[in-house]
Amino acid sequence: MRSSRTAARFTVLLAATALVTSCGGEDDGATSGDLAGESPEPGTTLSIWTFGATGLEEQMEAWAADRGVELEFKTGELDPHHEQLLTALVSGSVPDVAVIEIGYSATFKASPDSFVDLRDHGADELADDYLDWRWQNGVAADGTVIGLPTDVGGMALAYRTDLFQAAGLPTEPEQVAALWPSWDEFLAVAEQYTADTGQAFLDDSGVLFETVAKQGSEVFYDTDGEPIYDTNPQVERAWEVATAAARAGVTADLAAFSPEWNTGMAQGKYAVQLAPAWMLNYIQGQAPDTAGRWNVTTLPEGGGNWGGSQLAIPANAEHPDLAYDLITTVLSPESQLEVFQASGNFPSTPSLYGTPEMREFTSEFFSGAPLGQIYTASVEALEPVVEGEDQRLILREFGNGVDRVEKGDEEPGEAWASTLDAIALEID
Amino acid sequence: MPTGTGAGALRRRLPGRTVPYLYIAPFFVVFGVFGLFPIVYTGWVSLHEWNPIGTHAWLGLRNYTDLMADPRFWNATVNTFSIWIISTVPQLAVALVLAAVLNGPMLRLRTGFRMAVLVPNITSVVAVGIIFTQLFGRDFGLVNWLFDTVGLDRVDWPAGRLSSHLAIASMVMWRWTGYNALIYLAAMQSIPRSLYEVAELDGAGRVRQFLHITVPQLRPTIIFTVIVSTIGGLQVFAEPLVFGGQAGTDGGQSRQFQTLTLFLYEQGFRDLDFGYASAIAWALFVMILVLSVVNYRLSRRISTG
Repeated sequence: MRSSRTAARFTVLLAATALVTSCGGEDDGATSGDLAGESPEPGTTLSIWTFGATGLEEQMEAWAADRGVELEFKTGELDPHHEQLLTALVSGSVPDVAVIEIGYSATFKASPDSFVDLRDHGADELADDYLDWRWQNGVAADGTVIGLPTDVGGMALAYRTDLFQAAGLPTEPEQVAALWPSWDEFLAVAEQYTADTGQAFLDDSGVLFETVAKQGSEVFYDTDGEPIYDTNPQVERAWEVATAAARAGVTADLAAFSPEWNTGMAQGKYAVQLAPAWMLNYIQGQAPDTAGRWNVTTLPEGGGNWGGSQLAIPANAEHPDLAYDLITTVLSPESQLEVFQASGNFPSTPSLYGTPEMREFTSEFFSGAPLGQIYTASVEALEPVVEGEDQRLILREFGNGVDRVEKGDEEPGEAWASTLDAIALEID
Repeated sequence: MPTGTGAGALRRRLPGRTVPYLYIAPFFVVFGVFGLFPIVYTGWVSLHEWNPIGTHAWLGLRNYTDLMADPRFWNATVNTFSIWIISTVPQLAVALVLAAVLNGPMLRLRTGFRMAVLVPNITSVVAVGIIFTQLFGRDFGLVNWLFDTVGLDRVDWPAGRLSSHLAIASMVMWRWTGYNALIYLAAMQSIPRSLYEVAELDGAGRVRQFLHITVPQLRPTIIFTVIVSTIGGLQVFAEPLVFGGQAGTDGGQSRQFQTLTLFLYEQGFRDLDFGYASAIAWALFVMILVLSVVNYRLSRRISTG
């Protein structure tokens, strides 16, 4: 037993040595590619880590073809992607470009030294091109610009017109929006729908919590950076709405992005999807057979934001100059307009908002809904959320708490208390 | 590598006692790098508030006192032991019977079957996790479909504590039963045939032979498999992680199937508290150490007594 384990360890050591030496070899060959303004050495490869939601891959490939550079994508799911990026930052074997989702931005901004300060490349001049709050998502407390903003996850609400019609509900966006001036009426419609059809109205109550909570500006933190999640009326309101939905049984209890959720969406197990702009592309990909059976309208009680990312360059990136060229190119207003037209991801560059291309953009998949206008209005009206370092952990515990109510483990009162206890344990 | 010097010349230049140490050095070097150093360094990290890309502040033993007072730690401990027992006891019992069947004289294609029982073990644990997670799916899972057809209620497997433990234990059983069966089989083949012949002369049937000769003769082997299953069972990680899907590291909405290693991973890699995660690692290390010592004592008493 022992000798075989020793042998195994020795094999590991040999393999590790081989790995280190081979990596070293690659390094020697590729380091001379970082020449700003000059064409990179042939065969230069830029590594890009993403969780696959930016819609920027085609723009990046076009850039690479133009510059004569190879791209190497590594795509993971949301959480594993960020966990891997974190360990990479510690070990130093980092990609050239990393996508950082907005929920994680505060986590990574806490260590600005781990990233290239994009001001050194002249990023300050670009700040005016972007929505200020989206720009600030990439600015650390000491002023370091760690990333440039991708899209904005302005919120709207997608619903199944065929299911609405079958349930005797109106199908025109204005009429649908008129059904629910507030979340209370929204819940009333949901309960009626479920009572009439026996089907779920919404996918999941956790997303409902997040949506309502983020309709406020101060959510888990106030503008002074103090945590207020336990006393903020906005959070309490979101909790009430979400747990009421969970208890009323109007949700399908399908966690977003799970395989069951994908199937449920395609099979029409629920009628309403809370939808930031990028979600529309996801729906088209997951439920292609439902084309023409959706429409899009506004949320009760205003807009909101879900998602969006920054593109960052880790401090030890091999080709920081090329990487900066890449991210400024694909995030330019012209490029973001193309992304919007191709995939629906909503641009973070306000100079586009009034343009005819945006105003006249509609989607056949969503029954010709004027998506450009709907999401422009949503983004222009939304109040950016005040960020805080532990926002992701807090949101996760609230999500679990709502889920405990949804699964019947706890009553809303108990779940509120257990959630606050769990958060206190996480962030003390 | 020294160039231009033959091995003989090298040996002549080294003092006489050095060479034996050089021969055994690879083990100690490798153990030092991959065994001892990580353990000691983890202990050092556990005395700090240690953000991998941020501050490292000295805390002394606070991580350990916090851990002892942390209900999530005890929850994870209970879950880990629960999954371990639910998976290990039936697994070893089935493995024993399976080994007896494989050892039987009646079986055709013996080598084929012996290889086949090992196949689940060489399957990627993540692949097993994904398939089983689908089997135990609430809405579209095969198990619930079977329940439906025989008139039982559907079960939301991940949502409940016991149901999730059963599902995870089934993955562990699937992977390790055949492996343990092969170990038992090897031990069975070294039991002297004369014992069985004598028993047969005395009129003992197959079951009686199995219970009164095979099992007692296998005692040291059974103890060995229990120890190995303990060490593995306390570190079960990939199965619950995959089973949990999107919220895998939480181990469910009520942490109902969060194991110790998942808790460690959550604290270290999701919450960036490497110090606390290291304290959990040390607590786990001590638990395994204690259980191994208990097992060792037991096995010595049994094999000598």
